[in-house]
Amino acid sequence: MEPLTVALPKGRMQGRVLDLFRAAGYPTDQNATSSRKLIFEDASGRLRFVLAKPADVPIYVEYGAADLGVVGEDVLRESDCDLYEPLMLGLARCHLALAGPPEMRHRNLRLETGLRVASKYPRLSREYFQRQGIAAEIIPMSGSVELAPFLGLADLLVDLVETGRTLRENGLVELATIMESQATLVVNRASHKLRLKTIQELIGNLATEVARRRDEEHAE
Amino acid sequence: MPHYENQLVRQLPYGLADLFFEQAAAKTELERILQATFRQWGYGRIIPPTFQYYETLATEASPELKKEMYRFFDREGHILALRPDMTVPTARLVGTKLYDQILPLRFYYVGSVFRYEEPQAGRRREFTQAGIELIGAATPEADAEVVAVAIAALEAMDIGRFQINLGQVAFLAAILSEAKLSHSDLRRLERAIERRNDVELQRMLEELGIAGDAARAIRAIPRLCGDQGVLHEAQRLATNRAARLALEHLGRVYDLLCTKGLGGHITLDLGEVRGMGYYTGITFHGYVAGLGSYICGGGRYDGLIAHFGADLPAVGFALGVERSMLVTRLDVDFAPDIVMQGCEHQTCGSLVAMARSRGLCVEVDVLGRRGEELVAYARARGARHSIFCRDASTYTVADARGSRRMGLPELQEEIASWNR
Repeated sequence: MEPLTVALPKGRMQGRVLDLFRAAGYPTDQNATSSRKLIFEDASGRLRFVLAKPADVPIYVEYGAADLGVVGEDVLRESDCDLYEPLMLGLARCHLALAGPPEMRHRNLRLETGLRVASKYPRLSREYFQRQGIAAEIIPMSGSVELAPFLGLADLLVDLVETGRTLRENGLVELATIMESQATLVVNRASHKLRLKTIQELIGNLATEVARRRDEEHAE
Repeated sequence: MPHYENQLVRQLPYGLADLFFEQAAAKTELERILQATFRQWGYGRIIPPTFQYYETLATEASPELKKEMYRFFDREGHILALRPDMTVPTARLVGTKLYDQILPLRFYYVGSVFRYEEPQAGRRREFTQAGIELIGAATPEADAEVVAVAIAALEAMDIGRFQINLGQVAFLAAILSEAKLSHSDLRRLERAIERRNDVELQRMLEELGIAGDAARAIRAIPRLCGDQGVLHEAQRLATNRAARLALEHLGRVYDLLCTKGLGGHITLDLGEVRGMGYYTGITFHGYVAGLGSYICGGGRYDGLIAHFGADLPAVGFALGVERSMLVTRLDVDFAPDIVMQGCEHQTCGSLVAMARSRGLCVEVDVLGRRGEELVAYARARGARHSIFCRDASTYTVADARGSRRMGLPELQEEIASWNR
């Protein structure tokens, strides 16, 4: 049987996700994962992992180039891809925050007219401001959004916050939470139907491990 | 190259494509096969107009589909739109004109539809749908027939392994009937079910104040996917009579398909709740290995035709022809059978006519090519045979078997042995 192809996000999440798969019964060779290989199989040959840029993971899966993927909810919602999301993995918890210089705390954003917001998440940011009834111009960026207020490019920024350290170090404060996020398992619609049994088994194994970890966390 | 004042003159709008050579031939062939299949099941063609009043086409359309419609004005100021699907034009036609005909009506269509959406998975902003509508029968037999025709169409196109995902939107509708949700809340809930996202679903049920048995049933829906066992599990979750009836109907359709020997192609999936706004009963999508999104989709839409007059139940499906082209394994015969040297002899003329009457595709050269030049041309065109006229009674035939000289009767006999 052809292995299932699983797209994983390179970087921050990669190691923790592979640990989860390992604990769920899909171990990968340490050598394979530590090298610069972009494609490797698990020890049983049931899964083939491919490493992609986080924002590309939903696209690989939507087009069926990968059967499954792991991606943060933030990236997933920003992509607006049409996928199944059968399992939250409880990993890489963070939130998407609106942030800015401390003095912005005292301003009523609804009354502002020329607000500019730097964001790596233009779609989610636009939706958020529309929902809040705030007129804002979104400036799409691909990194280091913390710089934008400092240089006068934008008044505010939207970025992912895990510990809040980056914001603090740049003298910025959080003003609002736009959404919570965690690593999510996504499945291609066609693969889900064509390989139903194998995929249901994988989801089941992962779900058991996720539940075990959650119980452990609660016990502590 | 001439200078063009406006570069757009030479471009196509994004999301459109020219088809030519093999691609155009492949599309024509698939459409031929699909039409032949539909006709075998007793379906007759309908040809609705390409554009109509926006108001007509927007009937029961989802907000997304309304946004995707190409709209323009006529000179009286009415809004017109290019059809985004074939089902609503069919419903209008039946509801306004064919309501008193003997039932059921069986129609098929093949034609372009237009949607302003991001092109993906073989789909463009103008794409071709081929499909059927079975009107005037609310029976499980009618539903099973439409699914069976979809399977027959997929098999006829030789697209390899495929699976039909069969759902029933009436089950969810029945469970939600007591909850009195607004249209937008309902859409959000459907979306969470569609995504199989339990965390999101749980959050929404709390937010909407849905609890108890209904909440339990709704949370189970995304996991109700598989074979026969799914129906038993769903029966236990049914909170009212309408929900039980919806499942019985689905079970009957599934049994009928199994009796036809088609059970292996079917996955029962009650999480299949997405769709065009107008579905009221069974819904299904077809998935093919190698194509990330669905190749065909359909379902029952009992309330739609009533908008245009007669209240007739109906069920149908549409298939994406461009998507099918990505996965079909059919070999399209695009090369000519014969390339023939051009000449003025009457005997050569009748020879060509004879070959054509036997169904062979014959190209006669019109550029005065001779000898090597004609051979090179025939090779470039992928022609199976080339024929050179020497003096209207002797010919040279060149093909895979080599180059042979022969007389007219001999050549006639040889051509008679060639077939497409």
